[in-house]
Parts: sequence; structure tokens; C-alpha cells
Amino acid sequence: MTDTDQPAFTDATRAGDPVIELEHVDKFFGTFQALKDINLKVGLQEVVVVIGPSGSGKSTMIRCINRLEEHDAGRIVVDGIELTADIRNIQEVRRETGMVFQQFNLFPHLSVMDNITLAPRQARRIPKKQAEQHAMELLERVQIPEQARKYPGQLSGGQQQRVAIARSLAMRPKVMLFDEPTSALDPEMIGEVLDVMKDLARGGMTMIVVTHEMGFAREVADRVVFMADAEIVEVGTPEHFFLDPQEARTKLFLSQIL
Amino acid sequence: MTTTTARPTAAPPPAVIWARRHLFRTPLDAALTVIFGALALYVAFRLARFVLVTARWDIIATNLKLLMVGNWDTVHLPRIAIALAVLTTLGGLIAGLIHARQVRRGTAVGMKLSPRRIGDLTRRFGLLVATVLLLLALTTTTGPWVMMAGVAVGGVLGRVVGGWLGRRRYRRSVAVAGVLAMALVPVALYRYLVDAVPLAEWEGFFFNITAAMAGIILCFPLGVLLALGRRSKLPLLRTMATVYIEIVRGSPLFVLLLLANVSLEFFVPPSIAPSKTVRAIVVFTIFTAAYLAEIVRGGLQSVPRGQEEAAKSLGLSPLTQMSRIVLPQALRNVIPAQIGQFISLFKDTTLAGLGLGILDMLTVSDAITQQPGFVGQRLIIETLTFTAFLFWVGSFTMSRESQRLERKLGVGTR
Repeated sequence: MTDTDQPAFTDATRAGDPVIELEHVDKFFGTFQALKDINLKVGLQEVVVVIGPSGSGKSTMIRCINRLEEHDAGRIVVDGIELTADIRNIQEVRRETGMVFQQFNLFPHLSVMDNITLAPRQARRIPKKQAEQHAMELLERVQIPEQARKYPGQLSGGQQQRVAIARSLAMRPKVMLFDEPTSALDPEMIGEVLDVMKDLARGGMTMIVVTHEMGFAREVADRVVFMADAEIVEVGTPEHFFLDPQEARTKLFLSQIL
Repeated sequence: MTTTTARPTAAPPPAVIWARRHLFRTPLDAALTVIFGALALYVAFRLARFVLVTARWDIIATNLKLLMVGNWDTVHLPRIAIALAVLTTLGGLIAGLIHARQVRRGTAVGMKLSPRRIGDLTRRFGLLVATVLLLLALTTTTGPWVMMAGVAVGGVLGRVVGGWLGRRRYRRSVAVAGVLAMALVPVALYRYLVDAVPLAEWEGFFFNITAAMAGIILCFPLGVLLALGRRSKLPLLRTMATVYIEIVRGSPLFVLLLLANVSLEFFVPPSIAPSKTVRAIVVFTIFTAAYLAEIVRGGLQSVPRGQEEAAKSLGLSPLTQMSRIVLPQALRNVIPAQIGQFISLFKDTTLAGLGLGILDMLTVSDAITQQPGFVGQRLIIETLTFTAFLFWVGSFTMSRESQRLERKLGVGTR
């Protein structure tokens, strides 16, 4: 087994092979339509940054990919597995997709080490020693190996978010979903989290990142997706997107934030 | 030397300053302080006079055995002593193992007998020890002394051995076997006691304690399951749990006990009908489980949604999400309410005397006032005071331990 974060056996093996496909996805909250006819393909090792005004459905879209929200129409396929009501399919998909939340959502009653090793040991049946060794490697990668025995409540926000990233990576996911990972952080801690994410992107991780960090989008994204009013309005490379946006809504949004 | 400035008066002592600030700040404060101070002093004086001078504690001393264990055959009393000593040893062992584990993980304070730790231990067990000494002072035989000596030695020995055993890590199989063995000890002790005196004849304070412990142990899993049932997505399960909880919570405990006394014959032939003691324990379990279920449900609701979402997003199974992430946090959040319910249960065991005709401590404390030497002297006040005191000691100790548990489990979480 190689020491990368890619699982040994995958359906998509070459960079660019599609790992996530959304086709005509609709999602309603009651009568409110949160997603309208979403179509998106994400290839292996691709970094997609999703931006857009709040309430535009960005978070809902990525939460549908690991079925924290159920889509009402259309198809979502992750690594060859279609998301249906079948709980085993869902669990399989969730093990392949890590998710990092805005509020970290670390388990406060478990130490950092236990936070990271719980899922590999429970869901993948990895022996304790091996899981802890991998956890230490990940903590070194996010640059806080000295915090392994502490509890989440004893860490700063930035440190907590880096632990949350390590916790997701411990499952050796094929895809990482980031749901506004820096929005709840104090400004001085945003950098350390973005650095970890950049490092991850350079390492070839497939990522979908919902964020307001335009610098990150410009520097790291292969493609930028702009969403507004529950729709994907525009998709393009960062250069195209920031220098030559086509749609009126994109221009308006960029003029408001830049 | 000129004396144009006012001569500085000597500052009053700190106690006077404190009293002025907190007791006599305004005229109203002063009036209230005087009135309630006088009232408190009067009550304290009357109480002290009763306890120390006028009360006839000889009725307690004479009937101590009856109050504690009812008509338990004196020949078999050593079994209770042995059982109690073994149980305390087990308790000490578990405390030692837990502490050693915390030391290993670096979440425990030092083990040394520092002044702070001695103070802590005094606060925890001081009242219990004082009560036991008081009871021993009332006895005329040596048996109880031997028993309590055994309990003390067992507790300390268990604690030391536990702390020593816990220093090492064990293979999983060994650890599981150890936990299983420890869980079997109470069962073995129960067999050992029932072998001499059937459960139906456990009486006095011993009945109250046994019924409370059995109720607590049995109602806990039932209560958690009911809480989960009430939150279930399956309509049938949810309805069943809700109906159960609402019906049981809507009935007075005393009525349920009376019902258990008379109505069981409708469903079960008398030959296999369970004893009154079993019925009492079943009623206590059913009753407390309903309340516990609502407490646990409150705890489940107090865990942020993000916790479950994070557990889901890692691909954990629904069972693991609940058992490792949500439930531990939920239960910890409602420790005070849970222990409060257990304290209620402990005190409510006194209802079993009237409700089911069991000779529990309250019944005994009433019955002994009718004895030839004591009848017609209104000694019920003494016996009820004594009963209330023992239940208070038990309840207060539980409440203290609950606060401690809360503090300890709060380590590192904030």
C-alpha cells in the first residue's frame, strides 16, 4: 500500500476521470427550492471552488453529495455509486468523501487522537496501532502533532479546524468537501487552515470547496463555480472567472466582494 | 504637632465590615436579619434540645437490627457483612482502575495524599463515615464493628489494588474478561444472600437500598431505549414509547404499587406470581424509566446537530453514531437530572411498605413504637427523625457524587 491518501482500489484511476457527477439535481425545503437543475462533473484530482451569495444553495449542494441532505430529483453518482435510499450505499459514499464543516464539529468528549481514529477503527476496522500511527502522520501534516492528547475544547479555532481536516483524511477519502471551512475562524487563523488545504490540493486531492476566500479560489482552483438563486450561473477557470465574467449576476457579485 | 486632620479611627475587624455590608446594609436588611436570625436560632435550639436532651434514642438502639434488616435471621447476618465488604472492595477496585486510566491518559490529578486530596475525601465520605460511626455507637454487639472494619479494609485494599492493576494496559480479551468478572460479582453476591434468606424476606433499610439499587440498574437501559424509541423514525416504535411514557408518568407511583399488589392475580396464576419485593422493584423500574426517558430525551436534544452530521459524514453506522458520539454527550449533559431521579427513587422505596405490605424501614419505624416498652409515648417522632436522617445521608451523598462526576466528566471539554 502506498502512503498517499488515495485508496488502493478506485473506479476512477487517472486524473480527470469523473468522481462526482450531479445530473439535473433538484432540492426543496418545503416549498422553497434550494437547488434548481444542478449539473456538475468533478474529475479526479480536480479542485472546484464554489462561490456565491449566501442562501444561493452552495452548502446544500455539497451536503447532497454525501447525503446530509436528500435530493428530490436528478442523479448523484460518487465514485461509481449512485446515491439512493439504500443506507449501505450512503455509508459507502460517506467513507469515500470527507467533509469539513464551518463549525468544525469535533467530538468534544473525545481526545484529538480519538477524534481522528474513531472512524477508521469503527468503519474500516483498522487496528488501533495502525490507526494511531496514521493519525500521527496526519497531525504532522496539519502541523499540530503535539496536540494529540488534548481535547478539542483546549485548542484554538484554527487548530480545531486542522484536526477536523485530519479526522476526515484518516478515512483516506477520495474526495474532500469543504463547507465554508474558514468562516467561523478569527482572521489570524484563516491562513493556517488555508495553507493545509493548499497543501492538500497540491498533493492531488479531489476537492470541492465552498468558500468566500477569493484569494484561495484564484490560487488553487482548477475551476470556479458561481451559484446564485439555487442555480449554477457560471463555471470557468479562475482567470476567466475573475478577469472576464460573462453573466450579469456574476459581475454584480464580484463587484460587491472585490 | 497640629491636629487639623481628623484622627484616623481604628478600622473595625473584617467580620464587622462583612456583617455591615451583607446583613445590616439598610434598615429593612437589619430587620430581616434580626427576625430570621432569631427564628433560625430558635429552631436550631429546639432541634438540638430534642436531638441531644429530650429524645429517647433508646428505641432506635434497641431496634437497630430491625430497622436495618428487619427479621433477617441473625445466623445469616455475616452473609450481609461479607456481601457488603466484597461490594465495597469491588467499588474501590473500580475507582482505582478508573483513576489509573485517567493518570495514564494524563487527565487526572495526582494520586498522592496531599492536604487537598484529604480535604476532598473528607467532603466526599465524611458524612457517610460519621453516620456509620453513629450507628456503630448505638450497637451493643461486635458484629457490626467487624462488618464495618471489613468494609473499610476492603474499600482501601480494592482502591490500592485497582490503582496498581490499572497501571498496565491489558490485551482486549483480558480486559473484557475482567469487566465481565466484575459485573458477575454482584450477581454472585445476590445468589449468596438469597441462598440464606429469600428476596421476599429482605426487610428494613436493607430492602430500601436493595430496591433502589435494583431499580436504578434496571431502569437505566429501559429509560435510554424509551428515549431513543420516542425519537425513532418508525411510527410504531415511536407511538409505543410515547404511550408508555405518558401513561406511566400520568399515574401516581403509590397507585401503581397498590395495583401491583392486587391486580397481578388477573394475569398470572398465584402459584407463579412474583413476590412482593419483585413486584415493588418492577414498579420502581417501570416508573423511573418513564421519567428517565424524558430526561435522556432532553439530553439528546441538547447535543448539537453538527455532531450527528460529523459522525454521518465519516461513514459511521447509525449504531456507532448513537453509541459513541451522541449518547455519551447526551447522558453527560443531564447527569444532575438523572441523579435527581435516582434520589427520588431511593426515597420513594418507602412507599413500598404501605403499598405492598413490605416491612421496609418506614414500616419498621412505625411498628416498633407499638412495642410493649415504647407504646403510647409518641416515640414515632424519634423513629421518623432517624429514618429521615438515614435517607438524607444517602440522598446527599448521591447528590455530592453527581456533582463530582459532572466536574470530572467536564474535563477538557468546556
